[in-house]
Amino acid sequence: MPGNTFASITNLTMKPESAAWRALHDHASTQLRGGFADRALRAARGPADETWRAFFSLGARNVRPGFAERVLRAARAATDIPSLASHFALSAATAVVCLSAVFFLHQRNVDAADARNLAEWQQLVQAADDPDSNML
Amino acid sequence: MESTSTTALADLVRRAQKGEESAQRELIISYQHRVAGFVYAMTGRSDYVEDLAQQVFIKMVRAIDRLQAPAQFESWLFRLARNTCIDQLRRQKLRRIFLPFGEEHENIPEPPGAVDSEELDALRHALAQLRPQDRALLALVQEGRSHAEIAETLNTSVAAVKARLHRAREHLREHYQPDHEA
Repeated sequence: MPGNTFASITNLTMKPESAAWRALHDHASTQLRGGFADRALRAARGPADETWRAFFSLGARNVRPGFAERVLRAARAATDIPSLASHFALSAATAVVCLSAVFFLHQRNVDAADARNLAEWQQLVQAADDPDSNML
Repeated sequence: MESTSTTALADLVRRAQKGEESAQRELIISYQHRVAGFVYAMTGRSDYVEDLAQQVFIKMVRAIDRLQAPAQFESWLFRLARNTCIDQLRRQKLRRIFLPFGEEHENIPEPPGAVDSEELDALRHALAQLRPQDRALLALVQEGRSHAEIAETLNTSVAAVKARLHRAREHLREHYQPDHEA
């Protein structure tokens, strides 16, 4: 074998560190499993189109028969799913109703307090105008 | 030939838009396997495929009347599929954050060897390492979408799509090792 001839020639003249290098290379090459070149090329090129196609059809296999019927039935049965915009609209409407209620109640209390104060002032004014009154 | 099939598809879509159930059924049957494959590429989970594909087609049935250009049906359908899958992955991620011990089966990827061959397993593993957006990009290209269509789907420029695609392919190659040991 040419390798052996080469090895026997080089062994005669080889320095000890060269022998160590060679042993290292030999050890390293035993770590490579069969088909290394193919695997390296596949990894370098990425998945082939056939692999992608096989992958997609693998996913497609998970669709059970009668799928279209199930989808149409579910689409008919599904109620309207509220969108994000409708959520915001509902929140805004709720906020408007709450603020209106707060404003209305506040305004009613203020009006009642005003009326009460006005009545008291009128009473005071009447009492001040009437010298016989002993309210003051 | 291609223009004939495009016209036929546009007619079918128009009929589906008018609420014709047979046309809707035909559309679902025509695209169910492609959408399922796309969903599988996006999620890497065979148990999600039927559920998500169903969600995609329900959205399709409910929104098809709003599709302006029937000729753009395919791009529109795959945009629905992409968005549905990305929403699902986002929800799953949130659930993992807030309920780390709940629904534990969701955190477990399919076991290695669950798919047919070493290469398919490697592709599934490599896709799982990518961001969902990059996965979608690669899957859309494999689905035959043009760069222009993808750019429209993602609301970006063709140049940006090409750049992102290049990066996504690089990442996929980095992780694609058919003899990987999970």
